Amino acid sequence: MEGKLSNRIRILRFHNGEMSQAELGQRIGLTRQTIAAIEAGKYSPTLEAAFRIANVFKVPLGEVFQWEVSGEDALPEK
Amino acid sequence: MPYREKTAWLSLCAMIVTFGPYFVYVAMDSGPPRPLPDLHELSYYAAITVAELLILGIGHLVLRLKWPEEARTPLDERDDAIKLRSLSSAYYVLIFGMIYAGCIMPFTFKGWSLVHASIFMIVCAEITRLCVIVISYRRQA
Repeated sequence: MEGKLSNRIRILRFHNGEMSQAELGQRIGLTRQTIAAIEAGKYSPTLEAAFRIANVFKVPLGEVFQWEVSGEDALPEK
Repeated sequence: MPYREKTAWLSLCAMIVTFGPYFVYVAMDSGPPRPLPDLHELSYYAAITVAELLILGIGHLVLRLKWPEEARTPLDERDDAIKLRSLSSAYYVLIFGMIYAGCIMPFTFKGWSLVHASIFMIVCAEITRLCVIVISYRRQA
């Protein structure tokens, strides 16, 4: 199944008092550069890091990360 | 630029600056083969190793003094993933090099040619490792 991992970290940071990448990274034990790479969709975090990020924003994992299916497997638009 | 990328650049530059001229010298040395063990070849190798260690030592000291907090930050999962990727790439280069220098070259070469070839393959593997680290950080992968 083809697709890509997208995320709403930038928006969630904005809604949490413009939290900086460095601050988020510090709270979950990642570097600022790693948070930037995750936000840009260049690096897929481990499941543990994904849960940690969701926990910081106090939202379910699915609200932070989404799997966007592409190609023939994509759901037809309504 | 992440601290790990800075240290990778430093190692890459140190390696090119020291081993580059060394291998150019080795390649240009067209004189008759000297009798073994020919220890003055070993002294060149020792000299460039010391030079490389000096560059690395001073470089790491400067980086640590300039970015003390970044230097203290432990590796995170992405750093580990990049490290693993770079090591596996270097492993294949090293395996190829060692098979060539250790299993094929002895049929046609001997003495310091084998030593130089082995050192060259090790340097190639190390350069591969450092290049993969730098490229991975550049591409944010």
